[in-house]
Amino acid sequence: MDEDVLTTLKILIIGESGVGKSSLLLRFTDDTFDPELAATIGVDFKVKTISVDGNKAKLAIWDTAGQERFRTLTPSYYRGAQGVILVYDVTRRDTFVKLDNWLNELETYCTRNDIVNMLVGNKIDKENREVDRNEGLKFARKHSMLFIEASAKTCDGVQCAFEELVEKIIQTPGLWESENQNKGMKLSHREESHGGGACGGYCSVL
Amino acid sequence: MAADSEPESEVFEITDFTTASEWERFISKVEEVLNDWKLIGNSVGRPLEKGIFTSGTWEEKTDEISFADFKFSVTHHYLVQESTDKEGKDEVLEDAIPQSMQDLLCMNNDFPPRAHCLVRWYGLREFVVIAPAAHCDAVLSESKCNLLLSSVSIALGNTGCQVPLFVQIHHKWRRMYVGECQGPGVRTDFEMVHLRKVPNQYTHLSGLLDIFKSKIGCPLTPLPPVSIAIRFTYVLQDWQQYFWPQQPPDIDALVGGEVGGLEFGKLPFGACEDPISELHLATTWPHLAEGIIVDNDVYSDLDPIQAPHWSVRVRKADNPQCLLGDFITEFLKICRRKESTDEILGRSTFEEESRDIADITHALSKLTEPAPVPIHKLSVSNMVHTAKKKIRKHRGAEESPLNNDVLNTILLFLFPDAASEKPLDGTTADNSNPPSESEDYNLYNQFKSAPSDSLTYKLALCLCMINFYHGGLKGVAHLWQEFVLEMRFRWENNFLIPGLASGSPDLRCCLLHQKLQMLNCCIERKKARDEGKMTSSSDNTYPGDTGKAGVQLGPDHLKDTDKEKGEVGKSWDSWSDSEEEFFECLSDTEEFKGNGQESGKKGGPKEMANLKPEGRLYQHGKLTLLHNGEPLYIPVTQEPAPMTEDLLEEQSEVLAKLGTSAEGAHLRARMQSACLLSDMESFKAANPGCFLEDFVRWYSPRDYIEEEVTDEKGNVVLKGELSARMKIPSNMWVEAWETAKPVPARRQRRLFDDTREAEKVLHYLAVQKPADLARHLLPCVIHAAVLKVKEEESLESISSVKKIIKQIISHSSKVLHFPNPEDKKLEEIIHQITNVEAIIARARSLKAKFGTEKCEQEEEKDDLERFVSCLLEQPEVLVTGAGRGHAGRIIHKLFVNAQRSAAMAPPEEELKRTGSLEERRQNSVSDFPPPAGRELILRASVPRPAPYSRALPQRMYSVLTKEDFRLAGAFSSDTSFF
Repeated sequence: MDEDVLTTLKILIIGESGVGKSSLLLRFTDDTFDPELAATIGVDFKVKTISVDGNKAKLAIWDTAGQERFRTLTPSYYRGAQGVILVYDVTRRDTFVKLDNWLNELETYCTRNDIVNMLVGNKIDKENREVDRNEGLKFARKHSMLFIEASAKTCDGVQCAFEELVEKIIQTPGLWESENQNKGMKLSHREESHGGGACGGYCSVL
Repeated sequence: MAADSEPESEVFEITDFTTASEWERFISKVEEVLNDWKLIGNSVGRPLEKGIFTSGTWEEKTDEISFADFKFSVTHHYLVQESTDKEGKDEVLEDAIPQSMQDLLCMNNDFPPRAHCLVRWYGLREFVVIAPAAHCDAVLSESKCNLLLSSVSIALGNTGCQVPLFVQIHHKWRRMYVGECQGPGVRTDFEMVHLRKVPNQYTHLSGLLDIFKSKIGCPLTPLPPVSIAIRFTYVLQDWQQYFWPQQPPDIDALVGGEVGGLEFGKLPFGACEDPISELHLATTWPHLAEGIIVDNDVYSDLDPIQAPHWSVRVRKADNPQCLLGDFITEFLKICRRKESTDEILGRSTFEEESRDIADITHALSKLTEPAPVPIHKLSVSNMVHTAKKKIRKHRGAEESPLNNDVLNTILLFLFPDAASEKPLDGTTADNSNPPSESEDYNLYNQFKSAPSDSLTYKLALCLCMINFYHGGLKGVAHLWQEFVLEMRFRWENNFLIPGLASGSPDLRCCLLHQKLQMLNCCIERKKARDEGKMTSSSDNTYPGDTGKAGVQLGPDHLKDTDKEKGEVGKSWDSWSDSEEEFFECLSDTEEFKGNGQESGKKGGPKEMANLKPEGRLYQHGKLTLLHNGEPLYIPVTQEPAPMTEDLLEEQSEVLAKLGTSAEGAHLRARMQSACLLSDMESFKAANPGCFLEDFVRWYSPRDYIEEEVTDEKGNVVLKGELSARMKIPSNMWVEAWETAKPVPARRQRRLFDDTREAEKVLHYLAVQKPADLARHLLPCVIHAAVLKVKEEESLESISSVKKIIKQIISHSSKVLHFPNPEDKKLEEIIHQITNVEAIIARARSLKAKFGTEKCEQEEEKDDLERFVSCLLEQPEVLVTGAGRGHAGRIIHKLFVNAQRSAAMAPPEEELKRTGSLEERRQNSVSDFPPPAGRELILRASVPRPAPYSRALPQRMYSVLTKEDFRLAGAFSSDTSFF
């Protein structure tokens, strides 16, 4: 199965504690929902292979703890990520307000700047919504991110979110190719003249 | 060949091509190509604009055909033009002469600065060349040449192609072409003469006019007027008043103790030779009528100073030797060396490092042992001295690669704190956190190098310098050895390494920089621990007795340093070790154990509260403990372990290897819970009698849910509880809470074993080969080079260079972010940097030559500066005002000076150079040397071959250089009645 995998992508899930990062991941990888999922300690890790536009991509997804104190640990995992999923809880405005902090963190610790960011508003199945969809949209547009609302519980938008992110990463040139595939860019296209006395090339009289 | 044109009625007549000869097949192939390229028929474009040959784009198409087994390449050269409505014109001008014939007379593009020779000779905008495909092949015999020319003629006739078709004959270097162009009732023959020696009569205008006229053989009298364009090119090689100032730097300057121009930490810059080798002045008379000018073997009116047009080009030295470029290239070469430091220096001082570094006890006792490196005084020079002695011992009488003075200078440059009189105390914080936020400063992000004021960066520059001037690879190995010794010295003596930002390793920098930062973290912690040991030794006498220690301890002046007793540290291992060991080391106190177990249960807060709080950092807002209303304190906690990117990689690999199963996830959480546990213990110590709820309110506030509840009495009360996930029985948080004992951070097991990590770093450093080192530091060197180029450019302000630098930066940031960039890509970057260096050096050279600085009048100065920058960027620059303009006068003067000095030179040389004719013609010293090139274009519109034929374009171009004479004629004739 691994042989036809196009590439392995590193995805990171971040956001305040309790917004449902691990639940989203569990829904995506195992298609289950566990209302009693323990709070993540440090970072957790899951793998899933998905197929987008006929390309198989292996996702190594790092799920991080949202607690302030763990944040001193997690930035190291930002390294080399191609995609980041930033999650907030639509029923808790404070988790939305804190998004700016997370973006700062991303900016500080990401080793590359062409990384694809996705904003996910989670828990839309709940009644007591505090953050309007439009606010999420606006935020995502302002920071050029992908945006989707989802519910890990009812499965809404979860699969779609991951697929969209992967598709975007694959479309971004230079983001996912391995070193050998990456030809790099050429600075000059100046062609050598054919040299010698043969006048294939262009030359001046002297 | 005309099979297609036969009417259908003769359908039964079979045309047989089976017996076609090679020659016929060749012709049909040529026709095929012409058809494929749609070169059939007349397409009259718009008249050529002035200078379009230079400003427009030329393109070419190539195909390969063969004559028997001899391969020819067919190439169509053409100037890209905006499409005009050709079809409409075609009908109107049915019998118009072909475009190319008209172009023969066009005067807008004479003497293009850079063009295909056929363009230069015939003024064509479009043509096809058939030449032998292989570079060394040539069509030599006359019969073969004629055969080719006939093929061309037939092909043109058959297809109706009006684009001139040339064949290249003789050796390629002679650039001999013959060709033909056909139109309705007209034909132009392109002919050529190429000689090494010029017959005397053809060196001047009148002689050439005679050839032209006789060639036309015009039956009319008087002959229609011949228009003449002349261009003389003068070469200036001898820049008299101007000497190239840049000397190759004096290698010995440093050895004598004089640092001079070659300061460490500064990169050299500039070309060692004049990057501008020649100046070519072209004086042009674009349009002369016959008879206005006299130019024959005894007299000439063609005085360059009087020429109406002057244009100048400069010849750039090919790959001038550039200091900066050489510097980096040499450094890159180290990357390919295979030798280890030991092999280069002989038996080395690193032997002692090869012992088992994991043995920490051994490492610690190293301080008390008789030191293998006897260090008595805390100064770098002493270090050097001892190290040197040692090396000499190993290597026998051999000289050490770096001499003492140089080494001392470098070490002082790298470790400025060693120079101060007071003992090293590591208080070099002033330059460890530079405030600079500028774009240049942050360049290290993109290059993955190191900040420009960091030790790593300076080390890179020094190694570069050593490699170039002081002992090459050996010197590099030597300095590195000294550097590693210094690192060990600093670790063992608690002296912080200067020039590194404090805090955990910056993952945006190169690995070596991270390693040094890591070492600094270790030193910092070790130092804090050792100092703590000295100041509060009483603390350490009762390691297990929480109660007593708490009383005796001062307030939180020790902050977050996990200072703990050395003995305790020894018995504990790294954070990833098993839990059992962890418990063992704290289970020595019965009382303590009891407290720990009870603290998790809700039953015993009363007892807990009796404990004295310890390790408080500050009060947490207004929060109070749930059970007794005491203020909630945030504890002093252990700093998380600093990580370099390779450690991190290792760790995440370990974590990832645990797999995605539930057990794996559990194990992973457990491995990472050391920090959580430590924080819980600190929290318990700071808040005696607290519950998990208290902890959660500080640590993960969203997991404590408060609700307004109306109680029995109808009052609204805030009721809080743990979130569902925290209440899951035996989840890791609860588990950890239950096992956590109230221990302040400073008495906890270290999460970060600085001794072990420091030894790991030192070992890592010691085993780096010079090649590894160079690879580590190359990004820094490239970074420095880019900064240097940027700095130099800012003095000259050359817009094209600005653009290139931007490209270099974005290119390098792509290349250098990969762990092991290919050599080829690195070379390319270095090549680009060298190019920029050469451009800047050229700009400087030109500015000095034209004296832009000396120019007083503001306006003239601006003009001159513009002129100079044009010279750099354009192939040829028009001199405004020709010989009378400001720039023109300067150029004139340059030539005059050169002539004067040449006149003083030995006369034989002069004679040889000028040739007999010029010698006769010139006065003893004229302002200009004899022209290096004379170009002439003669044009006329003359009926040929008979007086009643159509008047058609006739053109002859001649060029005469020192050892090359060429006539290129295009003579058209009316074929209607012939």
